[in-house]
Amino acid sequence: MSPQERAEELTQLRRMRAVSLLEGSTLLLLLLVAVPLKHLAGVSVATHIMGPIHGLAFLAYLWMLVQTVSGGGWSRSETTRLVVAALIPFGAFVNERALARRQAMLGGSG
Amino acid sequence: MDYLWLKALHVAAVLVWIGGLLLVAVAITALSLSKEVAEASGRTAVFAVRRWDRYVTSPAMLLAWGAGLTLAILGEWFRSPWLIIKLVFVLLLTALHGLLSGTLRKLGHSDEPPASFGLRHAPLLIIISVAAIVVLVVVKPFDGDVWWG
Repeated sequence: MSPQERAEELTQLRRMRAVSLLEGSTLLLLLLVAVPLKHLAGVSVATHIMGPIHGLAFLAYLWMLVQTVSGGGWSRSETTRLVVAALIPFGAFVNERALARRQAMLGGSG
Repeated sequence: MDYLWLKALHVAAVLVWIGGLLLVAVAITALSLSKEVAEASGRTAVFAVRRWDRYVTSPAMLLAWGAGLTLAILGEWFRSPWLIIKLVFVLLLTALHGLLSGTLRKLGHSDEPPASFGLRHAPLLIIISVAAIVVLVVVKPFDGDVWWG
């Protein structure tokens, strides 16, 4: 792998990790703040705001995942693991760790 | 924001997104038919298309999704069958965009032309999906029906 290639791969991994964290965080906010506010305090505005924001973050996350994987360099089992984790709630955090390990392997800071 | 202004923003973002998506698809089709990737002209073309994809097409896609979801919520369209069918096509276009974008990234540092596996037909798939979306949005078939809720 050439230095330029590695730098691009690291940039892609950093972006993917950021989007994974964003997806996981918006889900946490939705489930731990917005939903209790709606059901326990009758305040539904939080779910009306957080629902679409999380939806958008999830889409961006799936899109980035397809882009990252189709960029090559991932084995079939790694790809399967990433896709399965992407569809499980909080799987984004699992993927973020996997991406951090790959980033460390490539020589970028974790 | 006024519903019509948001709709205008959505349509503008969609136009930019689909234009950029077609650009990536046609570039990959052209490169898969040639062996020019390793040459300077091929590299420059890939670099230019990638830049456009990263800074224009991808943000336009996110804007189209954001404005579209807001419109659907404000207009209470989520119960309409035409929107659900439209979302299937939009998800297909989004996945295709990710796939094409990743392939383009691979081409940026590979001397090999892209493997064909159907990507050569991506422009046609995009046009068919866009035509289906336009029919669904303009004609609004099954508009009187409500699938749930």
